[in-house]
Amino acid sequence: MASVSLCKLDKSYGSYRVVKGIDLEIADGEFVVLVGPSGCGKSTTLRMIAGLESITGGEIRIGERVVNALPPRERDIAMVFQDYALYPHKTVRENMGFSLKVRGASAEEAEAKVAAAANMLGIAHLLDRRPGQLSGGQRQRVAMGRAIVRRPQVFLFDEPLSNLDAKLRGEVRAEIKRLHRAIGTTIVYVTHDQVEAMTLADRIVILRGGDIEQIGTPDEVYNNPASVFVGGFVGSPSMNFAKAKAAGGLLDFADGNRLPLAALGGCAMSAVDGREFIVGIRPEHFTTAATDTGLNCVVEVVEPLGSDTLVHFSIGGSTLTARLPPQARPTPGEALWIGLDPRKIHLFDTSTERVVH
Amino acid sequence: MTVTSRLEQVAERVETRRAMLSRLLDPDETTLGALLLAPAAVLLGGVIVYPVCKLLYTSFLDLSLTSGAPARFVGLANFQQMLEDPVFWQATWNTILITLITVPGALVVGLGLALLANLPFNIRWPVRLSLLIPWALPLSFAGLIFAWFFHSEYGVVNDVLNRVGLPGAIWFNSPRLAFAAICLTITWKASSFMAMIILAGLQTIPRSLYEAADVDGAGRVRQFFEITLPLLKPTIVVALIFRTIAALQTFDIPYMMTGGGPGTSTATLAMYIHQNTVSFLDLGYGSALAVVMFILSMCVTAVYLRMISGREGAR
Repeated sequence: MASVSLCKLDKSYGSYRVVKGIDLEIADGEFVVLVGPSGCGKSTTLRMIAGLESITGGEIRIGERVVNALPPRERDIAMVFQDYALYPHKTVRENMGFSLKVRGASAEEAEAKVAAAANMLGIAHLLDRRPGQLSGGQRQRVAMGRAIVRRPQVFLFDEPLSNLDAKLRGEVRAEIKRLHRAIGTTIVYVTHDQVEAMTLADRIVILRGGDIEQIGTPDEVYNNPASVFVGGFVGSPSMNFAKAKAAGGLLDFADGNRLPLAALGGCAMSAVDGREFIVGIRPEHFTTAATDTGLNCVVEVVEPLGSDTLVHFSIGGSTLTARLPPQARPTPGEALWIGLDPRKIHLFDTSTERVVH
Repeated sequence: MTVTSRLEQVAERVETRRAMLSRLLDPDETTLGALLLAPAAVLLGGVIVYPVCKLLYTSFLDLSLTSGAPARFVGLANFQQMLEDPVFWQATWNTILITLITVPGALVVGLGLALLANLPFNIRWPVRLSLLIPWALPLSFAGLIFAWFFHSEYGVVNDVLNRVGLPGAIWFNSPRLAFAAICLTITWKASSFMAMIILAGLQTIPRSLYEAADVDGAGRVRQFFEITLPLLKPTIVVALIFRTIAALQTFDIPYMMTGGGPGTSTATLAMYIHQNTVSFLDLGYGSALAVVMFILSMCVTAVYLRMISGREGAR
């Protein structure tokens, strides 16, 4: 096991800067998820850690070693690829044992290690099959088996679940978490799926346009998003945003709805009259309970999900979504008072889109 | 016959025709399959099955257009004659030797060229074009060019040899040198074809496999033997089938370079068939020779196909 340290890491293709000098410290044994939309530089960062992509500037350390110029095979890492990258002409046993064979392990040692990894992942019965004879989930497990068999210092996962259906994704996700608990190796995991990030990570790194937008535990990025982007990216359904102006100790929405600024905790006192904010409210923080703070709205669409009911309505020109209890079944067109916990409201600056409160 | 029974007969016939028409207009799966296959079957029958049958039949005839005598069934006499014909054995041996030398030669050179062309060049088209040119060149044209290259007085090969201090050779006077020159030319011509097919195969191997092998610790040579070569095997077998059959039918290049000489030392089976059928108009013997060549091609194809099916079975 080893820590991973990225210092001013930079990557450009010609004049196009994909990764913009990011700094990141990943502790020994930590599970860090790089998450962000397509083109944010997360896969490029992972591939630079792996050595599959050259770096334009900065430094990568794995443990105490600077690995900038080392080829992948000398970095003591293992990687699970998005398309699994299993050798189609080799059996599962040969796939898993390939790295051991290349590194000169004896046949007995390789066999024992492959068997141990296969037992851990529940794929011992598949060892003599070829990848073409396996289902997507089985291939995924074999790819993980190939990675763990060598017990490298760092595991790198590049969107490993994106080719699986939703049910299988949930199962394999749990398996990856179990695996990390069992072997405790440092994991750097890339995904565009915030659910994967939230469920797996010790810490989440949210990337946007080649820059780090926020680093924090899942709770931190969920409860204290640093920007409109993070607020909108983390959570499902995503955070609601509407513009409002501070006036006379209140936040005025364009449609006349008002929220008391005093209810927003001490930090909100920095708001001055006339200043405009982007107000962020998570759908799950709305309530049908009788509260002092809330919004008058007209219901537009109702989506009963069984476990919850999603209610869509407009406030100040923005469409908002509330996640209400399953028994709440307002009808479209109905006027509704939707309460909310004022401590859960986030305020963002309209120009920088960074958090104010 | 009463009018009623006559009417019944007519009605029955109309009903039968209507049923036939409706089967044609709305055929079941088997009929539809047969209908769709029919044009291809007719075409194949016309251009492959019929000529092969006709060839087989002619090989049992004494049919020489120069004698003016009518065709006479002689059974296996043509094949008997073949066994005692030294030129046939010489031509067959030459054909097999050309195949054994140029097919692996073209495979190795083609594989090298394909690997080269698959490198991440910034501008790829000149590399691809240079691969394509030898393949696009007509065979007889290539034969003519190389006949000039190997010309004893003003050929570029002798010129280069002289420049590096080696004596030139009269290439087409020596059976061995003439044969070597022909093999070199065929290898040059065929390697671009091999390279094109192998390049297409190389491009189907996902890059992530090499990246996985990089992470697993395999160097470039190991990657070639553990990933590239095994995954190229089906492509290589297909290329070998095409190339071997073409090599067994070698005609144009030796015809243009040596005309089979000196003597019959560089004659091939295809040239000997051509000589018997076109020059001597001995269609019976020529057909018998062609049957041998056909059987040879079929045997080679069967071996290759077995190699492919064996691999698929192992999957």
